[in-house]
Amino acid sequence: MKNEKKNLIGHLADWINWRRFIFSVVLIFFLTSILFPFYWMVSSSFKTRAEIGGREPVYVPSGLRLDAYRELFDPNHPSYQDFGTNIINTLKVSIPTAIIAVVLAVLGSYAIARFKFKGKELLLNGILLVYLFPGVLLIIPLFAMLAQIGDQLGFNVQDNLAVLVLTYMSQTLPVALYMLTNYFRTIPDEIEQAALIDGCSRLEVIWRVTLPLSIPALISVSIYTFMIAWNEFLYALIFLNDRHMFTMPIKINTIFNDPTPRPNVVMAASTIMTVPIIILFLSLEKYLAEGLTAGGVKG
Amino acid sequence: MSIAGTKKVKSRKAQEARLAWILISPTALIVFGLVIFPAIFSIWVSFHDVGLNNLNDVFHAPFVGFENYREVINDYAFKFQGLNNWGAAVTTIVYSFASTSLAVLVGLAASLLLNRPFKGRGVARAIFLFPYVAPIVSIAFVWRWILDPRPSGVVNDILMSLNLIELPKAYLATRGLSLLIVILLDAWRYFPFCMLMILARLQAIDNTLYEAAKVDGANAIQQFFAITLPELRYVLGATFLLRLMWTFNKFDDIFLYTGGGFGTKVLPVLTYEFSFRLYDFGRGAATAMILLLILALFMTLYVTTVMKNVED
Repeated sequence: MKNEKKNLIGHLADWINWRRFIFSVVLIFFLTSILFPFYWMVSSSFKTRAEIGGREPVYVPSGLRLDAYRELFDPNHPSYQDFGTNIINTLKVSIPTAIIAVVLAVLGSYAIARFKFKGKELLLNGILLVYLFPGVLLIIPLFAMLAQIGDQLGFNVQDNLAVLVLTYMSQTLPVALYMLTNYFRTIPDEIEQAALIDGCSRLEVIWRVTLPLSIPALISVSIYTFMIAWNEFLYALIFLNDRHMFTMPIKINTIFNDPTPRPNVVMAASTIMTVPIIILFLSLEKYLAEGLTAGGVKG
Repeated sequence: MSIAGTKKVKSRKAQEARLAWILISPTALIVFGLVIFPAIFSIWVSFHDVGLNNLNDVFHAPFVGFENYREVINDYAFKFQGLNNWGAAVTTIVYSFASTSLAVLVGLAASLLLNRPFKGRGVARAIFLFPYVAPIVSIAFVWRWILDPRPSGVVNDILMSLNLIELPKAYLATRGLSLLIVILLDAWRYFPFCMLMILARLQAIDNTLYEAAKVDGANAIQQFFAITLPELRYVLGATFLLRLMWTFNKFDDIFLYTGGGFGTKVLPVLTYEFSFRLYDFGRGAATAMILLLILALFMTLYVTTVMKNVED
């Protein structure tokens, strides 16, 4: 077989065997059904009004027309959506959420992973249980509680991005704690003990030894918490009423439900919301894929 | 060890315990204030009449006993009323079991696919994760537009040009069909999670098992049933239960696909409607508690079977 000369048919017959054929068909099926919606989203964002309103779907837009993006960003457009504000709102919520959740979780999970103290098991099991808790269950008491507290202290609960960040802690902190605790436990205690004997305090050990060793975990946890806040829909839907305060998901929902449907605008906004996440994910896939099975994205 | 030494160790221990509490207190405070207390508080709310009118004085809301629960259970949107109207309770169970099973099956297929070495496997694996990573809002609206009920919808266009259907269909606005479509869409979105879980286990299977089977003359299908499936048994169960619990709680997907209409109303959507459309928070909380009760059943199952298996 090795040095035998074969004709084209022979080569083809070698190459096309049944297993390989089925394998390729299934792979292509998977890839098209995954990629088509993404293609449709991006390509549709470049379609004109005529192309989206036609009797037949337009599979390939005639050119890179920016009509939809102009409606989102151009103040002179008759139905200007001011989407820039929504992007900034989303960032205003998701960056603080990620930072606060990671900082608090680093401290908390270090304590859980390294120290023995009373109530630790209870705390751990509590966190694990919380992890499985429905968000829709918490929103009612949170809403009632925060309304009450806001009333007492004289701040507005609705349309307050800081309140939204606070409520996102209930979704991100348990995940971050869970992932970081698991990670810290894999760092051998001996390294830290050596530093302690050298006269470092615990906090110095955390800062100089543990954190530098945990950079991959820190990156993936920050990105997951960032993504949770970036994508969050239900809490934002309930807490935000003013369109100037909307985060992207709520804004996209509003544009979609507009009496005059403009799918190209919805797709343009969705593209803007999705592409950064996909790029972020692809560039850090090495760190992130592992976190997914650890439950980085709940849901 | 001298007495002074013991003392030193003891005080060191006490010091560490104190530091532990200092480190953990902000987290503990937030977890308690934003998760544990609200969870307990929602039990309280479910037994009281809480509406918009007394929201600013919630702790003096009148106690109504099981009235909220009675209302939910007798609500036409909750109760099973025959095959044409399943009600939210039955719909939730059917939806979560069906979409979870499908997601696990598709995930299994995908992981078997990616377990074989081929050119571009890394890229393929990354692409396979897209549905799970992308924001649900964008995903939902893309699919809604692909499934558009007009003849210009992509699915209608394709199926009509293939002569598989004569008239355009309203996929997300037809009783029965909508639930099926939502289940399929959920399997599409959540299979990557199952795939990753299964793939990790697949790669840990001892290769000598397969070599031994080959020597014995087992073909690929026999190998799959004799080696792969038994080795995956545990991870399949764990993935299924975890996804089942998450699907059970899912609000976003169905709310965005159908708004809970056309026979797709699940308990989380019903909870939302009672609380934030009718502003009857007591009834909403009661619905959530019923949801939680069913969930607790699954959780117990998870803890007793899966966690126990981990220990073994």
